[in-house]
Amino acid sequence: MLGSTILNGRQHVGLQKLSALAGISHSCLGPGRKYKFITDDTSGESALVCSCFRIVESLQLTCAVGQLVHETLQAHQKVYHSGSGCLLFLAGAWSRAALDCLQQGITVPQIISAMFEGMEICADVCRKCAVSTEGLGVSHKVSQASCTVQKHKVLNVSERRRVKLSRHFCESTSEYEVIPAPQLPDITHLAEGLSHNCDDTMKLVVEAIQLQSETNQQDSRRFAFDVSKVMTCVLPGLTEGHACVVQGSVFLLSAEQTSVAHHLNEQALKVALITGDLSDTYRHVGFNRPTSVQHVSDRLNLLGLSREDEWVEKAVTVLLNLEVNLILSSGVACEKVIQHCCRHHILVVEKVKASVLKTFAASTGAVPVTYVTQLTQHSVGTGVKSAIWRDLSGHKGTTAAAVSVSTARNSGLVTAVLTSCLHGKLQALEDQFWACAYRLHHALNDRALLPGAGRTEMLCIHHLQRRAEMHAKQELKGVQQTQPGTAAVLRLMADGLIDYTSTIMVNSGRFSKVSARTVVCQHVQDVNTHVSSAASFPQLLLEGDPAVKLDKAPAVEVYDNLSVKQEAWRKALDLVSLVLQTDAEVITGVGQSTDNLMML
Amino acid sequence: MSRLVKKSPSVCTDLPLDNADIWNKLVLLRQLLTSCFGPTARLKQVHNNIGGHVVTTSASSVLLPAISSSQPFINLIKTSILNHVSRFSDCGLFAGIFCLALIEQAKQSGLRANVSIRVNRHLLALCTSYLQREDCGCKVNLDFCSSQNLITLARSIISSKPACVLTEPEILHISKLAVQAFLLTVPCTSPGTVSLGRVVTVPVEGHPVLNSAVFPGLLVDIPDGLCLSSADHLCSSLNMVLFSASLAGDLSELGDGIIEVHQGVDTESQILDQLLELGKQVVKDEVKLFMCQKVIHPVLQQYLRSHGIIVVERLGITLMEPLTELTGAQPVAALHSVIPAKAYGKVKDLSIRQFGSKTMLHLHPVGESAICTMILCHRNETMLSELKVVCQKTEHVLRLTLREPSALLGGGCTESHLAAHVRHQTKNEVSEMVSALQCSHTEYLHGVEAFCFSLESVARALEHDGGNSLIDLTHAHHWTLPAGIMKEHMEDSLCSCGCGLVQSSPCRKWTYLNTKYAEFPPAPLLRENTVHPRVLDSFTAKLNALQVAVETANLALEVRYIIQDVN
Repeated sequence: MLGSTILNGRQHVGLQKLSALAGISHSCLGPGRKYKFITDDTSGESALVCSCFRIVESLQLTCAVGQLVHETLQAHQKVYHSGSGCLLFLAGAWSRAALDCLQQGITVPQIISAMFEGMEICADVCRKCAVSTEGLGVSHKVSQASCTVQKHKVLNVSERRRVKLSRHFCESTSEYEVIPAPQLPDITHLAEGLSHNCDDTMKLVVEAIQLQSETNQQDSRRFAFDVSKVMTCVLPGLTEGHACVVQGSVFLLSAEQTSVAHHLNEQALKVALITGDLSDTYRHVGFNRPTSVQHVSDRLNLLGLSREDEWVEKAVTVLLNLEVNLILSSGVACEKVIQHCCRHHILVVEKVKASVLKTFAASTGAVPVTYVTQLTQHSVGTGVKSAIWRDLSGHKGTTAAAVSVSTARNSGLVTAVLTSCLHGKLQALEDQFWACAYRLHHALNDRALLPGAGRTEMLCIHHLQRRAEMHAKQELKGVQQTQPGTAAVLRLMADGLIDYTSTIMVNSGRFSKVSARTVVCQHVQDVNTHVSSAASFPQLLLEGDPAVKLDKAPAVEVYDNLSVKQEAWRKALDLVSLVLQTDAEVITGVGQSTDNLMML
Repeated sequence: MSRLVKKSPSVCTDLPLDNADIWNKLVLLRQLLTSCFGPTARLKQVHNNIGGHVVTTSASSVLLPAISSSQPFINLIKTSILNHVSRFSDCGLFAGIFCLALIEQAKQSGLRANVSIRVNRHLLALCTSYLQREDCGCKVNLDFCSSQNLITLARSIISSKPACVLTEPEILHISKLAVQAFLLTVPCTSPGTVSLGRVVTVPVEGHPVLNSAVFPGLLVDIPDGLCLSSADHLCSSLNMVLFSASLAGDLSELGDGIIEVHQGVDTESQILDQLLELGKQVVKDEVKLFMCQKVIHPVLQQYLRSHGIIVVERLGITLMEPLTELTGAQPVAALHSVIPAKAYGKVKDLSIRQFGSKTMLHLHPVGESAICTMILCHRNETMLSELKVVCQKTEHVLRLTLREPSALLGGGCTESHLAAHVRHQTKNEVSEMVSALQCSHTEYLHGVEAFCFSLESVARALEHDGGNSLIDLTHAHHWTLPAGIMKEHMEDSLCSCGCGLVQSSPCRKWTYLNTKYAEFPPAPLLRENTVHPRVLDSFTAKLNALQVAVETANLALEVRYIIQDVN
């Protein structure tokens, strides 16, 4: 029976749900994040997760708000690979702010417009305190030598660089219109600032960039960090110290194929790229198998050859005629094909990512095809080399060797091999690697960074509170232009950010909740109006509790990503505003009526 | 042996409006629609009970199809509104709220059903004739020499759906794009019958709204961008062919029945041969662009590409018509015969455009064409899908202005003005109408009151945050007083009426919209006024919605029995 049910949410259950859901993000914030176990009671399966996105993914949220949260996190993760914790935490904090406002009698449209004003303030703060990546780290070293305070160049709104400040420009006295080559950011310095306590993983990313830029000789001016050409390969059983970056792509092979790999070691190979499965039953996507066809025959099949055998025969003949030694397939290969190929010393690698196939196509001249039978002389690529990267036959498990495949004309393809003794940790390590890689990628793309370690947040808190005071004064005076309640909303938004910063401090293990809050509030209060730049704040998250003295090396400059942070904040606000404006759920297909549901 | 199941008897409901269950459901439906009305509306999350995809919306065209009731009476009203929406796109919520209010008021006034029906019918005629009059006080003539009123019309529709989550500059940007797209669909030079083009909407998730854009011509998604490196700077007129039949190489169009195939026969390769024959002809005929609604066999694709042809597959049914209009090609539906020469189409130019992760092939028409593509960007899927619905609605409403170049004042002003007009008009003709409608004097006045109250309740539905609705006693426009403001400070907090045409002034008098006021002739606004309305509604859509609402309400009032087959 079909029916529709309308849930009335006058107490704003939606906001409460959002805030409750956001509770899971608390321990996933900041460098001091903790691992979590998620266990399934019915199947007994468990997963080790470390990021907010993975938790939400593992929990099967069926409620409407849960779905909305999942959808938003997924969209964010797909592009940025980090910041999902920040997104969810702020969605929760601001939904609590909205609840508070509703209780104070501020209407929904007023809350929405004030929150958007607050977001505009924060975006403005980010624009103003963003640091250009150009020459970052290079000038850092210079300033260290001359013992001056490091100053960041401020990004202009029109993104024009203030190159006059560059020492290179100052030295050249004769020319007026010299356009200096854009200074490269010091990648290790950037990486240090963006590692957020994942130093080992970040080192791998920097290695990957260096490997890539070594090969890109024609354009050494720019760091062309092409994330799409980075692969990961997870290898259980080795300790984490074995993680490294390898040129080309690394694939794991079974024992049977290892012998083939040994045979082909360090030889120039011919490669075929297959975008489908290697089996006789595979058909391209969109092909409908006939259901009403019967095969009739007037004689017995005496040869005993099945269709599959025939097909394998044909496929191998094609491969041999074209002298193919290596097949990279995005699908899987059937057992018989692999066996036949092994016999003829043809290496078959399955489940290769589409982007990797694309890179191989570009650098070897191979044309990806769907079926083996489509292969021609023209579509086979040359100049590929495979080498046994590591023989793992001593280890237990199905994989016997890891082979690295690289092309003669360097494609810029690099693989990060991630290792761990704990199988369950590999996923988290892989996530961490991508988070670091994308942080650098976005930093180089944005060409700007935000001062990290809570400094941007504190500046935002400061500005939000100042605007709130201004509104409060106007409200007292009874100025018509201000919306009533704006001051309260802005103040609560700032509280959300205070909560965020202090939670990260608590996660670092050096603060209690109360002391973290007081420290943040103290610093925000200390700011004079005329020195309101982010550099004037201490890097709170790196500091210890003043009560607990720690011996520490001089702190590194910590940065956050501009686009990632802004986008996470905006998406958090989108979530809150969608949920805040929702007053009912229409549930379709309700079978039996439940007590508190209204049926239409 | 067949099993016999005894049929259960049909359920008959006498006087459905007196049935408490049905009545409660009607009230609930009215509350639901009322809370979705206007720019500060509350949103609804629509999903199924097993955790399916969640849609957040306040649009009647999305919400109503999701609501399915076990009660045929509710479905009757729902279907009638949906029919209106499918023809006119706009004013669905208006029709729903007005219709349900009419039913409720008629019932509460205690009038006999046939009297209510007659009075409603008469008053509807009064309203429609007034709205169509040249001197109608709540109508604005649209001037196509300036885009201002068109943008205002578009803006009113776009800003009335808060699930789009747009800021002011974003609303303006999208409104301008909507008008631009609409203007591109009007052909400039074509003698004889003019046929409008169309707007193809392409949603792109995860990008700022301000990146949305409109392009003349068609943009076609090519997920496999890799195979198109040569197409960057192709110029001059290109031959193209368009297939509507699947070229996947399967036997999909077999129909029922069983085919017996001899063991040695390979049907697949035979079909593939047929496909390659097709490829050969296309190469011979110097086709440069090969498009298919469905899947193309990889071998055929490879063959075509090796001859320098650009291949695009899986276009989908929605792109077929715009493509035929743009290129002049006739979709080929069979692969067994030779492609006739007249089936080929032409495009002038091809280029590649990148939108986030989407790679698109931009097809430029050879001559003048009224096809354009609107790329809509938004940060997440929920808001994007609502934005898409709203933009399509706007396009439709703008088209309707070509037939009837006028618009009605928005912001509740048309409703309050119309109600004041009806009150004034009926006052003067009570005695003649009483005899014409065969009812008593009081019955007539009650009927008029119910109608006007229902009309005003639509204007009041715009307010959701405890504010009060007012009407001024000169022009009868609709004003909103925020909650918590006393009547003494009224002049300060009211600056202009709902549509923005009437400004607050010390001499103006107001009264609450849900109270009785002495009838007066609503004064028309001076035409040479330099103030432009801030909110406009579609004339055609609202006029039809008015008729649909009254007719549906009359039908509902007339229903005596509901006979329901429950088997």
